Formats: sequence, C-alpha cells, structure tokens
Amino acid sequence: MTDTRVPPPEPAVTGPAAGTAGLRGATAHWLRRPRSRRELADRLFAVQSLFALLAVFVVAILASPRRDGEILFLTAGNLGNIVRAVSEIGIIAIGMTFVVLLGGIDLSVGAILGLSAVGTATLMVDSGLGILPAVAAVLAIGALFGALQGYAVARLGIQSFIVTLAGLQVARGIARIWSGGLGIPIAYGDGPQEAPPAFELLNGSINGVLPVPAVLFVLLGVAAVVVLRTTAFARHVYAIGGNEKAARLSGVPVTRVKVAVFAVAGLLAAVAGVVHAGQLNQGSPNDGAGYELDAIAAVVIGGTSLAGGSGSMGGTLAGALLLGILNNILALNNIDANVQLLIKGLVIVLAAALQKLRRGLA
Amino acid sequence: MDKRTTLLALLVTGALAATGCSVEKPSDDAGQARACGAGKDFLIGMSQANNAEPYRQVMNNDVQTAAKSVPGFRVVVSDAAQDNSKQVADVENFLTQKIDLLIVSPNEAKPLTAVVKKAYDQGVPVIVLDRKVEGEAYTAFIGGDNVAIGKAAGEFYATTLLPGGGKVIEIAGLPGSTPAAERAQGFRDGIAANPKIQIVASQPGDWLREKGQSVADALIKTHPDVSAIYAHNDPMAEGAYLAAKSAGKAQRIKFTGIDALPVPSGGIKAVEQGRLAATFQYATGGREAVELARKILVDCAEDVPRTTTLGTMRITKENAAEAYAKLGGL
Amino acid sequence: MTGVDTRDAPGPSGRVVVAATGVAKRFGGVTALDGVDFDVRAGEVHALLGENGAGKSTLINVLSGVITDYDGEVAVDGMPVRFTGPAAAQAAGIATIHQELDLVPALSVADNLVLGREPRTRLRTVDRRAAARTAREHLDRLGADIDPRRPVGSLRVGEQQLVEIAKALALDARVLVMDEPTAALADGEVRRLFTTIGGLRRRGVGVVYISHRMEEIEVVADRATVLRNGSVAGVVPAGRMDRRRIVAMMVGGRAASLFEPAPADVAGAPGPLPASAGGDPLLHVTDLAVRPRASRPGRCEPAGISLTVRAGEIVGLAGLMGAGRTELLETLFGAGPAGRRTGTVLLAGRPYAPRRPRAALRAGVGFVPEDRRRSALVLEHPVGRSIVLAALSRLTSAGFVIHGRERAAVARSLTDLAIKTASAATPVGALSGGNQQKVVFARHLLTEPRLLLLDEPTRGVDIGAKAEIYRLLRRLAGDGMGILLASSELPELLGVCDRVVVLRRGRAVADLATGGCTAEDVLAAAMGGPAAGRDDR
Repeated sequence: MTDTRVPPPEPAVTGPAAGTAGLRGATAHWLRRPRSRRELADRLFAVQSLFALLAVFVVAILASPRRDGEILFLTAGNLGNIVRAVSEIGIIAIGMTFVVLLGGIDLSVGAILGLSAVGTATLMVDSGLGILPAVAAVLAIGALFGALQGYAVARLGIQSFIVTLAGLQVARGIARIWSGGLGIPIAYGDGPQEAPPAFELLNGSINGVLPVPAVLFVLLGVAAVVVLRTTAFARHVYAIGGNEKAARLSGVPVTRVKVAVFAVAGLLAAVAGVVHAGQLNQGSPNDGAGYELDAIAAVVIGGTSLAGGSGSMGGTLAGALLLGILNNILALNNIDANVQLLIKGLVIVLAAALQKLRRGLA
Repeated sequence: MDKRTTLLALLVTGALAATGCSVEKPSDDAGQARACGAGKDFLIGMSQANNAEPYRQVMNNDVQTAAKSVPGFRVVVSDAAQDNSKQVADVENFLTQKIDLLIVSPNEAKPLTAVVKKAYDQGVPVIVLDRKVEGEAYTAFIGGDNVAIGKAAGEFYATTLLPGGGKVIEIAGLPGSTPAAERAQGFRDGIAANPKIQIVASQPGDWLREKGQSVADALIKTHPDVSAIYAHNDPMAEGAYLAAKSAGKAQRIKFTGIDALPVPSGGIKAVEQGRLAATFQYATGGREAVELARKILVDCAEDVPRTTTLGTMRITKENAAEAYAKLGGL
Repeated sequence: MTGVDTRDAPGPSGRVVVAATGVAKRFGGVTALDGVDFDVRAGEVHALLGENGAGKSTLINVLSGVITDYDGEVAVDGMPVRFTGPAAAQAAGIATIHQELDLVPALSVADNLVLGREPRTRLRTVDRRAAARTAREHLDRLGADIDPRRPVGSLRVGEQQLVEIAKALALDARVLVMDEPTAALADGEVRRLFTTIGGLRRRGVGVVYISHRMEEIEVVADRATVLRNGSVAGVVPAGRMDRRRIVAMMVGGRAASLFEPAPADVAGAPGPLPASAGGDPLLHVTDLAVRPRASRPGRCEPAGISLTVRAGEIVGLAGLMGAGRTELLETLFGAGPAGRRTGTVLLAGRPYAPRRPRAALRAGVGFVPEDRRRSALVLEHPVGRSIVLAALSRLTSAGFVIHGRERAAVARSLTDLAIKTASAATPVGALSGGNQQKVVFARHLLTEPRLLLLDEPTRGVDIGAKAEIYRLLRRLAGDGMGILLASSELPELLGVCDRVVVLRRGRAVADLATGGCTAEDVLAAAMGGPAAGRDDR
C-alpha cells in the first residue's frame, strides 16, 4: 500500500497536431491500431453491413443445394441473376439513400418506376421515338416529378412522407391514364408500333455472364459512392439531415439541396423504370408497386439512420445485395413463400437492432 | 466500407473491360434435356404469379394434390407476389436448381416470355397455365376461355336471369388485365341476344371484394333501378352484394360472379347460400397440368396437345353442393 | 450579483439526508470519480463546483440513480442504499432538475404536474378540476404566478423551471439537485429563482446547486464542494467563499485569469479594451423594426433599434430574457422570421438586408448562435466536416471537395483555436462544451467575416475555455473585425466589450461605454421603469 494517489489518466484528448494526423484519410485510420476497445467496436460497426453481406454470402454457400457436385448458388449464372434481380431495387435505393440522409422518405419511387416504364414503352412503341429521345424524356419526367416533390417539401414545409404519399398516387394515376390502364408490350423491329431492337440489350448480358442491368446498377452505385464521399452537395445533405437549422445558419442552400435530392431520387427511379421496361419488354402502370419499401429496407439494412444525417452509400449497396442473396438462397432451397416473408422481416429488425446497439455504444 | 465497395466495383468493371464486353442478347444455353421414363424422380417447378389470390392458391393445391398421386414427382412452388420481375427471378432460380419441368402461371404475358423461352430452349418442358406467354417457346398451354365464360354468363342473363330485360352494372377486373377485357367482351356477346338488357355502368373493382363493394355502393346510388350486377369475379360480386344489402336492395338486385372456387369463401358457397344467383367456373387447370407432366416425363409422350382449353360450368343453387364436392372442395 | 442574501433565514440544518462516501466510477479507461465524499443536509444549499469534466455530472447521476454501477456507498438517512434507477432515487426523495427540463411542452402546466398520478373522477376519467387545484397549490407554495392551464411550451424557461421544481416538490422531494439552473435565465429570473431556493431551505429541503457562475454561488450557497479531476479539491463554508480561492481550487495550480489584460479587480471585470475602437462604422443600424408575418409566442422582434459597430470594436448586447437580443442578431443574419422590415441597415456603407443566412455569409457576416446543439452542430458528425461546412464553397472545385484544401483548412482551424480533439474524424459530441463552441467559431471564421454576431458564446463553457474565447475575440477585433456580442452575463459584457447596447422589449434603450459604467447601470437600463414587467421582481 502506498499513500500516493495515482493521478487519473489524461482523458483521450490531444493537441491539434494529432488532429491533423487523424486527417490522413480513412486508409490511415484503418491501418492504425485501434486506441481503445470502443474505437475497435466503432470500426467494426461502421462496416457491419459489409460483414452482414459476407456472412449471408457464406451462409448461402453452405446452405446452397448442390447438383452433380456443383454448388448451385455459386454458379456464374446464378450470381449474375442475383445482381440483376436486385438491380432495380438497388438503383432506387441509391436515390432513397440521399433522401433518407436528408431526414426524409420517398414513397413515390415505385410509382415513378411504373410511370417511367409506361413512358418508355409508349414513347418508343406508340410515338415512334428513338431510344435516346425516349429515355431522355422519361428521365426528365422522373427528375421533374421528384423536383416538384422536393419543392413541396422544402418550400411548403410539408413532411416528405405526406408529399411523396400523394406523389405516389399522382404518378400511378398519370401512368394509368397514359397507358389507358393496360400494360404496353414492347415488340422490337423497324416497323411502326415497334421499338428499336437495340433497346433489348437491357435484357441481355455482357459475355453471357454479367447482366446489363446489374452492370448499370454497379456503375451507378460506384458513382453515388464517389458523389457522397467527395462533393459539397453530399456534405450539405448530411448537414441538413443532421440538423436543418444548423445547416441553414451555416449558409447551406437548404431549399436547393432538398429539391435536388428529391430530383435525384425521381431520376434514379426513372432509370429503374427504363431498366424495368427493358427487362420485361413491357411498360405496365402497375409496375414497381411496393418497390419503395424494398428500397427503404435496403437503405436501413445498410445502416443509414431514418432520422437522417448518418449513413453511407456503400451500406445501401451492401444492403441491396444482401436482400438479393437472401431472396435467392431462400428460393433455391424452396423455402415456403410465406416463411420467406418472415425471414426477411426478421433480417430488417435485426439490422435495425444492430444500429441501435451501435448508437448505444457510441 | 465505401472504399472497399468501390474497389470491388472497379475490379468488376475492369474485368469487364478486359474481356472485351461483347453484349449478347438473352442467350440460348446448351440443351439439358433429361431422360424421361418410369420409376425416376422428377423435380417440377411451379412458378405462381400471386399466392395471395385464392384462385391461384387453389391452383397450387390442385397441382400439389395431383402430383402426390404420381410416384417420383416432387413439386416446388414459388410465389411472385404479383411482381413480374420477381417471377422472372423465380424461374431463373428454378433453372439454377435444374428442374425437370416448369409449370408457370404467368403474372403477365410479355414480361415472362423471355425467361419462359430460356427454359424451353434449355430443354425444360414448359406447361403454361391460365395466362399465355407470347410466341411459341412452350410445350403446352392449359387455360380457360374467358370469352367463352363471359359469353356463358351473358347468355344466362339473356335467357334465365333477366329474360324481360333490365339494367345491368358491370364490375370489371383490374384494368389492363386480359381476363377483365375478355370477360367483358364475352358478356357483351352473350347478352346481344336480348336487346332489352342494357349495361348502364362499368367500373373496375380490381378483382377485390372491398373495391367491388365501394364501387357498387356508388353505382347503386346513381342507378337505383338496376336489376343485376355482373362482376368479373366472385369476391367483387360478394362485395357488391354487401353494398346492396346496406342500401336495402339486396333482394331486388341479382348478383353473379365468375371463378366458382371450391373453398369456403368462394363463389360456390355464396351461390349455395343464396347471395349470388350464379357463378361460372374458371378451372385452374392444375390437375390437367400434372397429368400432362406425367405424360411428358413418365410416359415419354412425344406428342402432347399444344393447347388445352378448359370448359366452364354454370353453378346455380341447384347444382352448387354437388359441384363443390366434385371440384374437391375443402 | 443580486445583492439579496437568501440565507437570512437558515432552515433546520444539521441532519444529513443523503451522503455519498468514497464513490468512484470509471468509464472505460477514464476515471470520472475517484473516491468522492459528498453529503447534503436538510435545509442547506450545497454548491457543487468544478470545470467541465471534473465529475459533477457523474456524481449527480450516481445520486439520482442514473448510474447504478459504481464503487463506494450512498446512504439515505444513514441507511445504505443502492438505487436501481432514477425512479428509485425519486421514491427516496431525491429529485433532479436537469438543464434540459423534463416536461411535456404540449401539455398544460397542471397536466405536467400530475403526470402519471392524475386524479380521477368516479368514472375513471381525469379530474381536471382536481388537477388544476393541486397544481395551483404546488405553484402557490413556490409563490409562482403561473396559470396552470397554459401549455408548458408557451412558458419562458424560468417559468418552466418553476414548474419543474413544483413537480419535484409534489413528489415530496427532500433533496433537489439543480444542474445549472440559471444557464438559460435572465437576471430578473435568477433573482426570482434564488427567492424560491430560499423558500425551499426554510422548508428543510436540501439543494445541490451546480453552476459555473461564481457570483451566484456566493449569494445562494451555504457551502461549496469543489471537484477537480474526479476528486474533491476542497469544501468551502459560506463565510469563507473567496472567489479567487475557489477558482484556484477548480483549476488547480493554473492561474485563473478570465479576461485579458489581467483583471484589475477580483470580480474579473478588466475594464474596456485598449482603444482599438476607433475604426470606420462597419454596421450601422437605424430604427430597425420587424413586423413578422406570423408572430411566434415568446419572441420579441426588433421594434426600433439603432446601433453602430465599428471595425475593430466589440459591442455588447445586454437585456433581460426576452428583450430581443437573439431576435436582433437573427434579423441581422437573415435568419429571422419573414415579415416587413423598416429602418435602415448599412454594412460597410452599403444597404444590407439579408433574406437568408447564405446571403449574410456572402456579405461577410458570421453568426455563432445561442444553442450550439440545436442550432449549430450535429453531435455525430466529425469535427473536421463540422468546421468546413460554411466555407465549403472555398474548398471545392466543380462541386468536389478538394481534400488537400479541406485538410489544410481544418488543421489551421484546430491550431488557431487550440481545439482539443483526438482527430478531425472524432464526432463533435465527444468534445467538451468549450471545444464544441470553438468548432462553431472556427466554422464561421473560415468564411473570413468582417462582422461576427455572437449569441451567448460562453454558455455552458468551462472557465478555461471562456478565457480562451475572450482572448480570441480580442485578437479578432485587433485584426479589424467588428463583433456584436449578446450575453446574459454582465461581467462578460463589461469585461470584453468596448460599449454595451442595452435592449428592452425590442428597443435599444441605452448605449453605454464600458469604461464608465457598472453592472448596476446596465441592469437598471435593462429593467427600465416600473413598466418593465414581471422580470423586475
């Protein structure tokens, strides 16, 4: 026993010099040994969606049925199918991530997808437009529709839930009117009432392995990751989602950013709509029903907080792929469709619980 | 996290660039035709458009019940939940599982055509149920004839239900769906024989009981002198009945539906209990599909009928109980 | 500060109600409390002092049952207890009034007071009349003139605090823990609170009083315990409270000098700046008034304000709570409510009427708002990103943030303002209050403003950081920046500013040079005549 008290350790703050050291990018941050258990936990949680993706992937391999010694899940065709199957949800989820980071929600994306699929089919088949003008027009409509919603959210101060709930109805209505309530089949050829054959490429695959929609999804995803990490626009989105008043007082053009974010969400939903029309050779006004919920699920599984201000695009991409793998492996094992719903629900709750845990530790 | 995803994506893109990126249209894989014959095990994939519809649930039941009586048959069922994209993925997954035969009840024709062709081109026999796909790339189609059913209903109106004529409200199926168009067309053909029958209103009820009810609610108010309501399916007819009942007109108006499912909530029971005047069977084709599958896989039949058109049955109070039992009512 | 000594009628003292002995608590590797002894007697006001991070909050959380896993012992009435949660502590008679009040804004005062214990009628519905009567009784006992039917959200902070105290007393609290109760109060309301505390003492309630404001402790406390680094640095009885000595205990060996140049007197008020205040008029406001399109309760928009801020000058904005200080700053920053403006504002000689903060920033005006958590920061966001938010346009090319430029700007800010953070990637929320405030300063300084608007820039900031902020303001003014500083702390206004403009009910009523005036002069101007309303009591 000694009577000299051990002075309490210095709290973990250091001078500004260490401050600059910490700036050496995420790579350095990762290579550095974690300072504390909490930091380690933080880092693990920061990539939880990737871990979850890997875990589900491994489980899928183990659980995959085999035929003639071949792991069916791992066949190139199957992996391509997985990404293709989630490509539309994934593309929507990219836009949804921006909206959720902003602290909002966009329920209209599924309906915009339907509207865009109808638009693509009508403009190419009935109006005889070429691929580029038709697609450009559809994308413009989607972006404009989103921008209008963004304007209502930002300037009229209506909650995005309500605005986009209304937008959902409006977009479906327009789609039904435009299509006459019927699905418009896309036939290919040079004649009247036929679409340019090149559009069928959307239903094809590169070298017979990589489906075009999947590639498009990955490319858009990469672009979105870059945008979210490096642009002032993204910083503004995070700031508004985290604390709108603070963002406004810091000179962030709040209205402009909100309009832009909803426009991006509408634009990407329109992209998904074009892909949808291309994949299914049809534009139907009922297409994309409920897709908004799957997209939100992907965003949530990816670790983006519905409260806004925190989350990542990589997480969303991982979340979308995770959903795709999950759907695929459940189907390959012929799990009853009703049980599949249960499992997917559990996964979403589990992801949210992990988020909660992460915040509890932080 | 983001960094890694980025890296992965870049690798994928790079790999694409390296392989020259030739984009191909949906590919025709090498055939994988299977040896048929007795005493073997067969895996049959049943791709259902939407389990939530009772009609399709009965179709699944019919397929599974029938398959149980064929030794070696195993049926796996997938549910596309009314989503074309999901159904395409479902069929793809079946192909990954290397099924021996595909039964598909398409959500919509055009979107499913490509993937059904893919299965067919791989040598998997394809039996298309209820809704057609486009083109010729399938083994057999089994389905009802909605025009004929609509016509049977129309003729029933013209001769039996409203021989003296009257005003009729039509509650149609989901706009854009083929059965809705055909049941409407057939009905008009059928009532043409009796010019005193007049369709005063036609509104979609989207196949749903609640929608049928709300639509009928409104239409009964605007057309208080209506004599009968022709609904494109039984649930909408039941909904219309409820609407009329709350308006105090259930006794004055006659209701008919279509489908006649042998389930407790189905149209046959409704006829038996007097709510509907009649319903017209729309057969699922499930039993017929399994029988065809047996011929193809077990009997190695080379030549099966390309198209099987299922007949309808008029169900009225007289034959309701009997029909319920005959159709394997639950 | 108030001149009223509420200890004139000491309550029944002596009996120890709650005692903590050798309490220790560690968070991960950090020791928050290290063998602390602390007790509260019936009828005494026991001040708890210490810089941010000294362990005050942790000790309070142990006493109030928020923290349940600690070493050492807590006893109530001599019996050792271990609370299972805040509810258990409350049942034992220990109530805590947090800085963020625990009231439901949408419910009425009466509903809040009986929340969870609503009186019922025979039909099991809530007996509103009985609830109002109970509420009235509790409020009367405190001498609080508040209508029980008003929604809590419509009350001023000081009134809400009274409701919170009434709620604690309704639960038969014997010990009341008050965490910085005056942080959001104007001087008039502080006095009122002290009167209430005096009443509590007489009724034998023990009060634990936490505050950064030394002058309040001198007035209200019977004794003070000073914490430093998780240990008790000393206990000082009422008669021997010497401000310099207490500050010395709080900061340890460090010399405590809040204002530079070194204070002439113990109170810490150093007198005005050396005459840097001779620059050109930077901001010239004449008869500024705003009539908002939709009036919001509790706000007092400018109703005739004239003032001038010269380059290199620090001008203080004094006034009671609700006098319109924040509203003036918001109007000048383009952050006020939409409405009709009259009067003229010239910025460097040019008409200046920003309609949104973005325009103000572009014109070279920066604004450090009052409530940094609600209006400036996202606690989860990294320090670096928080700093560059307002100046992003200077760090981007074609919309892409140039990492090198950003890194350099952040590094410069961290060094310039001596912001203590583990790294630029640390969440802002992990920083101390003072360092959080410096992050907000850094954000606006990066935009290189010529005029800086500050609203209570040292609220919730410990003494060390306060001194640093004052030094910073000096330096900025020295470089030619104009600064308009709104504050509720008179010593701060008198110590830092060249002149103080006093607001009352949206009007500028006095413009005093700090060289020749006292705190009493400012207070007198702020309270005005007998018509100045309830705050005067």
